[in-house]
Amino acid sequence: MRAAEERKGVVPAARRRDQFPVGMRVLAVDDDPVCLKVLETLLLRCQYHVTTTNQAAIALKMLRENRDMFDLVISDVHMPDMDGFKLLELVGLEMDLPVIMLSVNGETKTVLKGITHGACDYLLKPVRIEELRNIWQHVIRRKFSTRDRANLDFYEECNKPPNADSDHVHGHVTCGSPDQSGRPSKKRKEYCSEEEDEGEVNTQDIDDPSAPKKPRVVWSVELHRKFVAAVNQLGIDTCTGNDKYRLYLKRLSAVASQQVSIVAALGGRDPFLHMGGFEGLQGYQAFTSSAALSSFTPHGLLNSPRNNPAALGTQGVPASKSIQTMSGSHTLSHSINDANKYHLSLPGNQKGNLGQGLATSLGQTQMQQKWIHEETDDLSTILSGNGLSNGMSGTLQSVTSSPLLPQELAECTQAKIVSQPSIRTSSVSSEHIEGAVGVSSGLLESRVSQQSTIPLSGFSANGLLIHGSFNNTCANKLGGTSSSCAPARSSNDLMVARDTKGGASSFGGAMLLPPDTEQKYLNFGGGNGLKQKFDDRTADSLFDLKFVWSSVPSSQLASNIGAHHAMSQRWNNSSSNSSNIGARMIGQATSSGSTVIPQMKTDFLVSGDMAMPKNASDLSIPKLQSELSSSSCSFDGLLNSIVKVEKDDVTFSDDLGCGDFYSLGACI
Amino acid sequence: MSLERIVSRVTSNQSRKLAGIAKYRGYLDEQFCQVEDLQDEASPNFVEEVVTLFFKDSGRLMSNIEQALEKYPRDFNRWDTYMQQLKGSCSSIGASRMKNECMSFRDSCGQGNVEGCMRSFQKVKREHAVLRQKLESYFQLLRQAGPAGAATRPVM
Repeated sequence: MRAAEERKGVVPAARRRDQFPVGMRVLAVDDDPVCLKVLETLLLRCQYHVTTTNQAAIALKMLRENRDMFDLVISDVHMPDMDGFKLLELVGLEMDLPVIMLSVNGETKTVLKGITHGACDYLLKPVRIEELRNIWQHVIRRKFSTRDRANLDFYEECNKPPNADSDHVHGHVTCGSPDQSGRPSKKRKEYCSEEEDEGEVNTQDIDDPSAPKKPRVVWSVELHRKFVAAVNQLGIDTCTGNDKYRLYLKRLSAVASQQVSIVAALGGRDPFLHMGGFEGLQGYQAFTSSAALSSFTPHGLLNSPRNNPAALGTQGVPASKSIQTMSGSHTLSHSINDANKYHLSLPGNQKGNLGQGLATSLGQTQMQQKWIHEETDDLSTILSGNGLSNGMSGTLQSVTSSPLLPQELAECTQAKIVSQPSIRTSSVSSEHIEGAVGVSSGLLESRVSQQSTIPLSGFSANGLLIHGSFNNTCANKLGGTSSSCAPARSSNDLMVARDTKGGASSFGGAMLLPPDTEQKYLNFGGGNGLKQKFDDRTADSLFDLKFVWSSVPSSQLASNIGAHHAMSQRWNNSSSNSSNIGARMIGQATSSGSTVIPQMKTDFLVSGDMAMPKNASDLSIPKLQSELSSSSCSFDGLLNSIVKVEKDDVTFSDDLGCGDFYSLGACI
Repeated sequence: MSLERIVSRVTSNQSRKLAGIAKYRGYLDEQFCQVEDLQDEASPNFVEEVVTLFFKDSGRLMSNIEQALEKYPRDFNRWDTYMQQLKGSCSSIGASRMKNECMSFRDSCGQGNVEGCMRSFQKVKREHAVLRQKLESYFQLLRQAGPAGAATRPVM
């Protein structure tokens, strides 16, 4: 009988480990001896193995000595020798263990702080035993997401065989792909079956376990080409394994094809000719259709902070030779920037090329080129070295920010870009537009959008459109925003794009705004962001997107926290598509925590010259909110307000209710 | 208290305890019940250990607060921090009335109300003293009941 066992309070260690969660090793840290004693007994009652200490320093020491000694850490927030949040961050970074925060203080801002610092849960004192019975789930979740990361690394290794000759791509891929697709899947299965060894496997696969968890993605042009070719040949369904993997592959191909289409749209055949590596991808243009887009779901891409960089990296840089820049940097945006250079391999300044390409295709002016140039610079600067979250937000940032970076050009540029929606202007057919939209959305989604910033430059409206296009409810607002500035025809096109891209809604899921948050967004961009009066609205639209993105990490993080947060409720309430995706995305983004947050912050360094405190909480959002309200039209002000994050205190704007805040984050 | 708990208590022949809790309504809340529940054969003196620990720790915290009130006038942040610690202890053993006084102290700190802080602190001290009294008699009864009394706790 359980009661009898519980009374014993002691289970043989060996038996414990086999009966997870029984025997789960918990480290409890609290300076309050009463609480610590009660907590210890409660945990013992749950049949966990408990170690307690009243000093955070001792806890850290124990953890550092042997990171495999514990499965989970529970820590009080307010401790005299070290701030609980600090401990939380350190544990998350160094040991990558799930950390649960405890506090008497249940104030939203404190809870939020815990979330943004990476806590996988936040419990209020006095803790009830029922709550403690479930904490083992956090251990599993974290292991699961770590495994995904490891799988990606493994996949990359599988596909490494060097073969730079594009002619042999197909042949080579054909031969190797079954293995390639099979092995990763197999490995994944192996991971699944080995719970006990998971830690070891992950350690092996992950370069430096003690270092901050950042996936390494070295994705070469050849690698991507082979991959895409393999997928194309074998069909996505060939890739057995779990859904995640399949989706991952789908996305990769979709991205690749989208990028190809964008390039085509922008520069006609010329870019293609320059991009030898893309030859194999041309056939993927078909992907640019809604089908590709539909496969583009935030799910998977954002599965876990650690996963994403890898996933996105590959996606973002199809055939991009600059992919090497990805290695160690996980910054899609970075690679994308480089990729852009390649994609539109026009002579001369590569950065300028993009602008030129855009100008050519979209009738952009010189100004646009300039800001594109600056944009890529900034993006590279900003996004280098950032992980997933960075990629995500960075991408989004770049999308919207690109037009805004050069302050002197911002308004004009914005106006130009917006008016571009070029849907009308260019030779780009509505198909391409859709493709571009899809791409941008997909790119945004996969953070590959870094590259998309280029094409998006002309389609900045698209960036916003993406918001709208995917969100049924918001489409009218955000989407309508862009379409309002675009010519009627373009809006129709976009509408079409919206409708046809069922899958795209998945992306929208990422960008989806729960109906109740629409208002907020409207306030930001005023849904007018892209209207003719760009001068006034650009700031708004910029905020709009930035707002969305800034809330990403928090939403990701927040969602990991259990029912304690209304946000998860909201999230669930949003459209089924988005909620599924978002939930999955968020659910996957466990332990994004501290690694995510600092990265997210840097994403806002659009101009590259604003220092973002690493610990800045995502409460910058409330600041944004207030900024938006004041509706400053100066880009400087906008950027500054976005960047201005209070390091220690959480300023929770009253404009946003907690729920709203979460739901906004949840949108992403 | 959830119905489930009440039922389990009754069925485990602790109706007297239920009555006891009712008598002590306000002073101790459900958290105290949970602490009591944690007492078992493996830790037969758990409740007393926790309560002893509580009074020792809360005494220390309260003298910290008293000193701070004197030494750091209007240092609401400091006062609040100390009081938050005390509040945490109270909530861990279920000392609800004392916890409420702690909360009103913190409210006064938030308002920058020195007078209110002083008043609240006096109330905290009073509740602390009352609780100590009640728990001491509780344990006395437990001891008087002897080893057999451990299973059926006295009415407090």
